[in-house]
Amino acid sequence: MAEITFRSVLLLSAVFRVVLILYGEWQDAHMAVRYTDIDYFVFSDAAALMASGKSPYERSTYRYSPLLAFLLMPNSFLHQSWGKFLFSASDLLVGLLIHRILKLRGVPEKLSTYSAMVWLFNPFTFTIGTRGNCEPIVCSMILWILICLMKDNPIQAAFWYGLVVHLRIYPIIYALPIIIILDPLCFQHSKKPALVQWSFRTSESSLDSSSAEIIGFWNFFRSLITWRRVVFGILSGTTFLILTGLSFYLYGWDFLHEALLYHLTRTDPRHNFSIYFYHIYLHYEHEFSILEKLISFLPQFTVQLILILRFAPDLPFCLFLQTVAFVAFNKVITAQYFVWFFCLLPLILPWSNMRLKWRGLACVSVWIGAQTHWLMWGYLLEFRGKNVFLQLWMASLLFLAANTFVMINVIRNHAFCPLFKPSSSKSLKDD
Amino acid sequence: MQCVSVIFLISIKSFVLASIYGQTCSLDEYIAESYFKKYHSFIEREFDNFIANKIPLGSYKLLEDKNLVTVKSISRNVIGEGSHRWLSSSMSLKFPHELKRELTASSCEVVVIERLPSGVFTDPFELQHFVQRGVFTDAAVFGDTNLELPSFRSNQTVVEIHMSIDSKVLLRDEDESEVILKVPLHARYQPLGHGFSRVEFGAPNIFTCCSSTEQDVTKKLCQPIPTSLIPEKKASPLMWEIPCGNKEHAAVVSAVTFGFAISTALLIVLTSVSYSRQ
Repeated sequence: MAEITFRSVLLLSAVFRVVLILYGEWQDAHMAVRYTDIDYFVFSDAAALMASGKSPYERSTYRYSPLLAFLLMPNSFLHQSWGKFLFSASDLLVGLLIHRILKLRGVPEKLSTYSAMVWLFNPFTFTIGTRGNCEPIVCSMILWILICLMKDNPIQAAFWYGLVVHLRIYPIIYALPIIIILDPLCFQHSKKPALVQWSFRTSESSLDSSSAEIIGFWNFFRSLITWRRVVFGILSGTTFLILTGLSFYLYGWDFLHEALLYHLTRTDPRHNFSIYFYHIYLHYEHEFSILEKLISFLPQFTVQLILILRFAPDLPFCLFLQTVAFVAFNKVITAQYFVWFFCLLPLILPWSNMRLKWRGLACVSVWIGAQTHWLMWGYLLEFRGKNVFLQLWMASLLFLAANTFVMINVIRNHAFCPLFKPSSSKSLKDD
Repeated sequence: MQCVSVIFLISIKSFVLASIYGQTCSLDEYIAESYFKKYHSFIEREFDNFIANKIPLGSYKLLEDKNLVTVKSISRNVIGEGSHRWLSSSMSLKFPHELKRELTASSCEVVVIERLPSGVFTDPFELQHFVQRGVFTDAAVFGDTNLELPSFRSNQTVVEIHMSIDSKVLLRDEDESEVILKVPLHARYQPLGHGFSRVEFGAPNIFTCCSSTEQDVTKKLCQPIPTSLIPEKKASPLMWEIPCGNKEHAAVVSAVTFGFAISTALLIVLTSVSYSRQ
């Protein structure tokens, strides 16, 4: 078999995406069901409003940062597909960054390419970009932040982190693990932190990791405040506040309500993958008590906290688990959220001891099976008008069970490998 | 010729009326728009009054004594399955033979004003998509346009759709033609109940309108279709049964939901804690 080079994989992915965008144009013009994501029309309308000097929030259901409408302004004067090309380019960039991160961590070329293909040829992801969904931009930013951290560039990482939280809010869950990983033990003055190489994943890494855990944990409490952590915190916070403040200055409460508060307080009674949807619908006529809100927040919060405390030094792995858990326990889950963890999945595959035969395949089929099962009941409710609320809710429970099954298997088969090598105990004096 | 003089007389009448009320002729694109400018929210009786009395004030004028296009019969239906359906009004139109030439020159359209019950909504952006594709000449939604609220938090909306009568139809020899106007509808989440919640549609207001240009001002002359033609609400109620949540599920659903969330969270926590980093 001819050797697959990363360059050819990327080229093929690019051609594939262009073909899909062109096909989408054709389907939109000729078929009753459109290929283009409904949100893409929302973005485009908002961008057109902005281009004509109006507020993008005049378009109802536009619930994003004004930056997104700004990026899509060429939709109205260049070409309506501009945004799709932009999103698909970010989608390719994600593939490129995955490959880059894996190379930096010493993963062999072939394995890096195969891992990147898990993103580039994932039907979930290539359709999302070509249908005009903005998530690939967010994904590429997250991966770029990882690279900045790996290259000891906390200033740039902080800037992009502030920006990405302004854009999409959910990456706020990554704040704590990032702060933890900016461990003074791993960072020394005028010296880049040493990355633990993939080849050490089974032998020395266990030793390193155990020491990293003891010292890292101890260190976390003893020298909580370090130069890098402070810089990262202040800079990312400032970027977030400046962008949010500027948007508020330009578009007022409309922006704050639609782009920020809506996402923070969103409870959706309409059917979605979340286990909470039916409960919310059944209680929509009365306000939820603080106790109820707290109880529903507790599982999500606890899982996040434990995952961070246990896995933060292996940052890509920690971020992946956090994202899967965050989505699985969220009050609203739509299919586009899956992209948030799909972009991190290739980053953990080389450290997984799970064989595709048969455990790997079992995980994939359980996850896809549970989702297809849910979609079947969803179809019966939405498109056939059957009263299957109860069955659909049970399908949501099954989907959470599937997510849990996959997470447990992924954790148990993972070879823990901290991102950075702790330099030595003397580095405690650093910072 | 007679028709033109009627148009002229009516335009004088509306000018006088507008002067009396101290209003200049506004150029509202929609009949319902004039109503919502005045009343802000939809009240069935007010709206009926408005349709009956106030239209002449706007750029729309009611044509009472002369028939331009008449409607012979109407049949209405809710078609489709599931949460996304169509409210279809099928009308058979008749054109007076002697007026055909004038009708071809002035563009004529059918205007349907539907009052939607609070359990359903129509998406204004979807309607615009139809306008862009030339299915409708104009379409707008007035009233509560928040698409995402369940029905118990939303109000009635009014949809106005204009569909042009193809001039090709008028050029044909026949004096009759069939027009089918379909409004795309979506179900909101219904109040809790048992099984299905029933949404009933009231009678629409249907007009046939033709535009005429006088002294560089384009006016639309509209003629309401006699309500006697519109199928009786009581005799053949037009309805849609939408699945609704069952209140009796509430206790079990809440308990199992939280129990399940807590146990799966616990499983993940235990796996993480017992994970050995070897």
